[in-house]
Amino acid sequence: MAQLSPNPSNLGSPYPYLRELKSEERGLYLIHLLLTCANHVATGSLESAEVALGQISQLSAPDGDTMQRIAAYFTEALAERIIKAWPGVHRALNATKIKIPSEETMVRSLFYEMFPFLKVAFVVTNQAILEAMEGEKMVHVIDLNASEPSQWIALLQALSGRAEGPPHLRITGIHQQREVLDRMSHKLVEEAERLDIPFQFNPIVVSGGLENLDPEKLRVKTGEALAISSVLQLHPFLASHKNPNSRLLQRQGTLGELLLDQKDNSFDSASSSSSPPIGSPSSSQGKMDWFLNVLWGLSPKVMVVTEQDSNHNGATLMERLLEALYSYAALFDCLESTVPRSSIERLKVEKMMFGEEIKNIVACEGGERKERHEKLEKWIHRIEMAGFVNLGLSYYGMLQGKGLLESYGCDGYRMKEENGCAVICWQDRPLYSVSSWRCRK
Amino acid sequence: MATNRFICEVCNKGFQREQNLQLHRRGHNLPWKLKQKSKTEIPKRKVYLCPEPTCVHHEASRALGDLTGIKKHYSRKHGEKKWKCDKCAKRYAVQSDWKAHSKTCGTREYRCDCGTLFSRRDSFITHRAFCDALAQESARNPPPSLSSLGSHLFAGAGGPANNMTLGISSTAHSSAAADILRLGGSTTGGAGQFDHLLPPSTTTTTTSQQQFRNQPHLSPSSAAFFMQQDQNNSYQPFHHTLMQQQFSSDPNNAAGGGAAAANQLFNLGFFPNSSTNNNNATLFTNNNNNNHSGGGDDQHHHQMMMGSSTGGSVPLFSSSSSSVHQQQMNNMVAHMSATALLQKAAQMGSTTNSNPNATTSASLLRSAFAAGPNHNHNHNNQKSSSSQSSGEKQQHPPPPSLGSFGGSFFGDVDTNNGSNNLHDLMMNSFAAAAGNNNNINNNSSSMFDMEEGNHHNQSSGNNNNGGGSSNNKKLTRDFLGVGHVAAAVRGIAGTATSNISQNQQQQVGAALERSSSLDSERNNNNSMGSHSSFGGNPSFQ
Repeated sequence: MAQLSPNPSNLGSPYPYLRELKSEERGLYLIHLLLTCANHVATGSLESAEVALGQISQLSAPDGDTMQRIAAYFTEALAERIIKAWPGVHRALNATKIKIPSEETMVRSLFYEMFPFLKVAFVVTNQAILEAMEGEKMVHVIDLNASEPSQWIALLQALSGRAEGPPHLRITGIHQQREVLDRMSHKLVEEAERLDIPFQFNPIVVSGGLENLDPEKLRVKTGEALAISSVLQLHPFLASHKNPNSRLLQRQGTLGELLLDQKDNSFDSASSSSSPPIGSPSSSQGKMDWFLNVLWGLSPKVMVVTEQDSNHNGATLMERLLEALYSYAALFDCLESTVPRSSIERLKVEKMMFGEEIKNIVACEGGERKERHEKLEKWIHRIEMAGFVNLGLSYYGMLQGKGLLESYGCDGYRMKEENGCAVICWQDRPLYSVSSWRCRK
Repeated sequence: MATNRFICEVCNKGFQREQNLQLHRRGHNLPWKLKQKSKTEIPKRKVYLCPEPTCVHHEASRALGDLTGIKKHYSRKHGEKKWKCDKCAKRYAVQSDWKAHSKTCGTREYRCDCGTLFSRRDSFITHRAFCDALAQESARNPPPSLSSLGSHLFAGAGGPANNMTLGISSTAHSSAAADILRLGGSTTGGAGQFDHLLPPSTTTTTTSQQQFRNQPHLSPSSAAFFMQQDQNNSYQPFHHTLMQQQFSSDPNNAAGGGAAAANQLFNLGFFPNSSTNNNNATLFTNNNNNNHSGGGDDQHHHQMMMGSSTGGSVPLFSSSSSSVHQQQMNNMVAHMSATALLQKAAQMGSTTNSNPNATTSASLLRSAFAAGPNHNHNHNNQKSSSSQSSGEKQQHPPPPSLGSFGGSFFGDVDTNNGSNNLHDLMMNSFAAAAGNNNNINNNSSSMFDMEEGNHHNQSSGNNNNGGGSSNNKKLTRDFLGVGHVAAAVRGIAGTATSNISQNQQQQVGAALERSSSLDSERNNNNSMGSHSSFGGNPSFQ
């Protein structure tokens, strides 16, 4: 557990100078230690990893500077990974963990507030929907994760200003919690009444992830124009069940076994990432394909997909860790530049959102690892294979997105276009991408 | 009663017009095949042409579908308008039109500032966008600092939309700014939708405002909704937190105060090249100057905006953005971002690593970094070895040997003496760092020097990098020389030789004691080296 650094009690004799480490030096030192430690974990040298972890904990802190925070969460993830080699201990440690859904929702909405990513994604999504639905009288929008009413309120307002008058709008919202959907329904209906738009909200509660969604429930009617909005909802489908966790890090793991495990892993993820033919037996590929097929079967007029644009689905731990280090460094930098260090909300987002994602990326394997972020070009390829055609984003849509980013006030955020998709970056690091698709034939 | 000639085959409901029947049939969710009526079933439909030769609907291609429709059309277009509304001056040729109008006449009205009356909200909105009168008024006031079309458009739609109820102004969003009061909802209800974006003090975007006005085509957008929303949702906690930072007594400085405070801790002269305390002082005062004087137009503007309005438009949002701005500035001045640190780490390794074939963690970082923003690099070559380093074309794929994997930064694995020296040197360097606030560069370089020095002390040649024969003793000395991390990572059974000496084993044992963390670090690295080998894993107890 990361301690406050510097912790005088720990630094009694050995390293008073640690206290004096400048932030930059400490940051570099932390990076180095992190990589060393990750290396140890990757090769199964648990004792060495233990030592490294101890050292990092002296320097890292969840409330320190950016690098300290990042180190804290990464080491927690690495420790978690190590502990998984003792499944009993791991289970016991997590036995009393209670997942409070409302907390997760709250953190999600903090993420929405504190970063422009979701807002830009919504803006671009709405614009794409608006453009695709020009002239349509009946519009049906399916939101794969309906958590922010503001997205659809904005769409309602935009639709009401349409030259030919607003269409009949139906929104189907999918979420795990009934309360969120109720709240959303309430707000949207209120707004629609105010704007005098014929409107209908259909909530769908799906527990345990989108894979349990029953497409019949969506009730897509013939004759209506369908739009699908997927914000960060596709990547969990890449999680494969092939490698159960128990094989992950055997306690006495001979290196051979460990390597074998990694090889299987790499084989699996590789097969999913290199897009073999659709009939591939790999289960991860299967799920993703199945879901995209479901979406394709609905014949949407437009489907807008927002996903992370980072390669966190590498075959090996080190690959993922390195990539994640860069990505989350960028995200933590965003926070550092926009939110004061003492902010509780920032801590919450860092811990409950990013920390959990990092944990998932680093410590989990197989079906447990849901945070399978991939690069945009992989998504493009995958969605194309599923029978969609990239619509590209209009100039106006990009303009709006950029405008929103600029007005956000922090000039680290950038937005660029790549292959007809919008990519939102921090400085030079692409973080999220938005792309718009339609059904082929 | 006209006949209901069109019957729905599903439920047998009758309709007078075919289009209504089609609309109704949609609701039945018919499967695709049944949706189409085959050609044989439908007899040729009668269409109607307008008898007036000059009319568009006189041509066959623009024929109308039913008799009543064409009759009404003829009256409306070519007939005399006999029906007149009593409330307003509108006249109608068709009685049903007249009836429909008089029901709604006067019930819902929007009046623009220029005096035009609208019954439809959308036409009202569109008109106001371009209304000349409004253009003149807004030209008098400095336009806001929003840079994009969309933001104007939308923040507008969002804002006054909230204010307007049936065109009657509500001053719900009234704020200190007189402008906003006026715009947000004057009694005339015609406040400039887009002008409400003009919080008082601002500087720029006359251009954007004008751009906006020049655009002929406004499609509704949702962009600014989010911006406005931010204000409403009040990222206020953030704002208030900043306000409460006790470091700043200057109310204008509220936003920057917190940031400045937080950064004071780190304000020990982060610039690698700075070498005097003066620099620190300057940095610090610069921060403060920025905060207090609100130096720069942007800051001034932002702060003014902070002060001005709280409701409605941009202010809240930009207040948070202004503090954002200051925060950002302060942070950037005093402290290296994590991204920058990673880049630096990646580069540092390269300077100290002599062997171009080496795959140190620095190079890993570099390749990961290069792969990230610039290339869509596929890291998932599952069996290929060079996933990491292939990002950099100039690197050869690191050979499988893992011997040098014991990339120990600080220590010489073999000789205790050497390591002790190294260790002491490290301590000295850090202590030196402690004493001297500013010479980061010196410190790092001293670290490197020390490492290089030890390098030479090494008996074995310095070739743990990549090449062929793994020599456990030879450890990459550079700061981030994790050695063949890439190789290990690939999980490829390296053919590393394990020079696991007794020393190492002892040291491994010692590693568990917390007596010396650096020692253990060193030992750690030793065992790292040993683990890389296939054979014995002494530290796997």
